[in-house]
Amino acid sequence: MISISDIVKSYGNAGNKNQVLKGISLQITDGDFVVLLGASGSGKSTFLNVISGLERPDSGSVVYGTNDITKLTDEKLTQFRRDNIGFIFQQYYLLPNMTVEKNVRMGADLAGNRAYREMINAVGLEEKTGKYPSELSGGEQQRVSVARALAKKPKVLFLDEPTGALDEQTGRQVLDHISGLHKEYGFTMVMVTHNQNIAEMANTVVKMNSGKIAEISVNETQKTAYEIGW
Amino acid sequence: MKRKRPLMRSGGDRMVVGIKDTMKLIGILVIAGCAVFVCTLFLNYNVDLAARKGEILTQAGMAMYQAQVSTGKVVAAVSGGCLALTSVVMLLFYIKNYIDTHSKELGILKALGYSSLKIAKRFWVFGLSVFVGCVLGYVLAFLYLPSFYALQNAEHLFPEIKVQFHLSLAFLLIGVPAMVFSVLAVLYACLRLRRPVLDLLREKREHKTKVPRRETRDKPFLKALAGSTIRERKALVFFVAFSAFCFSAMVQMSMSMKDLSSRTMAVMMITIGLILAFMTLFLSLSSVVKGNTKTIAMMRVFGYRYRDCSRAVLGGYRPISYIGFAVGTVYQYVLLKMMVEIVFADVDNMPEYGFDLKMCAVTFVLFILAYELVMYGYSQRIRRLSLKSVMLE
Ligand SMILES: Nc1ncnc2c1ncn2[C@@H]1O[C@H](COP(=O)(O)OP(=O)(O)O)[C@@H](O)[C@H]1O
Ligand SMILES: [Mg+2]
Repeated sequence: MISISDIVKSYGNAGNKNQVLKGISLQITDGDFVVLLGASGSGKSTFLNVISGLERPDSGSVVYGTNDITKLTDEKLTQFRRDNIGFIFQQYYLLPNMTVEKNVRMGADLAGNRAYREMINAVGLEEKTGKYPSELSGGEQQRVSVARALAKKPKVLFLDEPTGALDEQTGRQVLDHISGLHKEYGFTMVMVTHNQNIAEMANTVVKMNSGKIAEISVNETQKTAYEIGW
Repeated sequence: MKRKRPLMRSGGDRMVVGIKDTMKLIGILVIAGCAVFVCTLFLNYNVDLAARKGEILTQAGMAMYQAQVSTGKVVAAVSGGCLALTSVVMLLFYIKNYIDTHSKELGILKALGYSSLKIAKRFWVFGLSVFVGCVLGYVLAFLYLPSFYALQNAEHLFPEIKVQFHLSLAFLLIGVPAMVFSVLAVLYACLRLRRPVLDLLREKREHKTKVPRRETRDKPFLKALAGSTIRERKALVFFVAFSAFCFSAMVQMSMSMKDLSSRTMAVMMITIGLILAFMTLFLSLSSVVKGNTKTIAMMRVFGYRYRDCSRAVLGGYRPISYIGFAVGTVYQYVLLKMMVEIVFADVDNMPEYGFDLKMCAVTFVLFILAYELVMYGYSQRIRRLSLKSVMLE
């Protein structure tokens, strides 16, 4: 269970302050698939970064079980991410000088996961293990980043517009891999998107509007990556 | 009515290197400056001394003359050559780096129909930094020349020698290097740009697509990262080794010089050595950290400790610096031994020269302290890297 309460976050200095998150509270149950939906600039990424421990809020708390990560030292927070969190970003952020295999090992080694090749196979890249990111298509690169995040065996996976840079076909393929792995491993999943259709894959949909939660809804049935519109 | 400016041209000029970019090449500037400084001192002196050769009558004077002329040639050739080589490597490294980091813009220019040579021509400005460095070195040398002349003639074995300006020497030490470096920059840039447009646009690095050997395939991530950091930037390996080499050779040599010749020479030697050593070390480590910012940021996101990051990224250079130190020690020993036995063979009461183990050990300890301190500074820099700033790019 992740309990988030009264998160406030601003950028800029006193004279020119831009409050991006205006007191957000949310509960996320273990194993849930949550989508944060909202227009560009509504503060979704900032919120994701705060609850995943990449950024500190100005005030408010983010409690995993009984562990309030906003109170942790940098060292402890790093340790927390190492033990619990996986990330997938819109721009992939693969390491350009490393092969697919080494990129995946970057995640796997943190969890002492020797069976990282299974994860490469799971996203269908067994043929590409020796390739460099620049030799892969966008969809393939994002699949590497999926494998990298999950080889780490995270308890919570955070995704920021994972299909934002992909076309329909490869986008669906990546989402399909992700939701398949979600069913198999049962981690908690929080995904940011501005795409209404993708929200239909989720269990819980949190609509954000200029730094606040506008609406929380629960989907009774979840669609697959090939059933949603695009 | 306003005259239409040719569109392509103004766009191209803005996108390719400008004078501002070359100002970042302080490393080359300093090294070129040092090289010209040393060469000017000894060569100008040699020329002025040679002009008075006929007036040297004593036998001791003649012996000293021979010794000083040869020393001048050796020092100018060895240190000048060494430094020139370093500036060349540094220049090529800068250009490669510049093209790698700007490959998108350059790719767009090529896609618009610019030829490689046309883009590369703009790289001549890289020669400017060499020019500025040479002028500075030359001017500084001239300021110091009167004391240097007095020093060289401390025993009054020669008639008094006046400092003269030699146009041909100025041209040789300023004009020639600036032109050679400009041409080199253009040629090398042209070579690097002659890649398919798409590779430039996709920021594709040139990987040797060799099949990884069995053991490298099983390497853990951090080990692989340490290895690839070194392999990707071979020029930096050279610089780090060179930095240690300078430290070791110049410090030890100047300590011995204190006994063999004069204190001022020793101070000059040690100053140049330390400037070079730290300059190259700072430049190369900055570039290692900068080149790996994204990698480090992503590792931090995933929960790698900053200590692991800096060890993987910077740790591989430690053994290289030790090798550089060892080579520098041997180099300075051989050089001094040769000078004492060959060049100064005829000069009376030259002290014996032997290898000084104690001094070597002290220098090594100093070196380790300095090196680890610099490394610590850079690992703190890695610690402070902001994750968000990298991701917002
Ligand atoms: N590091 C930052 N510095 C200043 N402003 C920022 C920073 N990060 C985000 N913002 C601002 O916060 C607002 C919300 O950004 P973001 O969370 O990225 O929105 P979203 O992901 O919903 O598009 C934007 O107006 C953006 O300009
Ligand atoms: Mg966003």
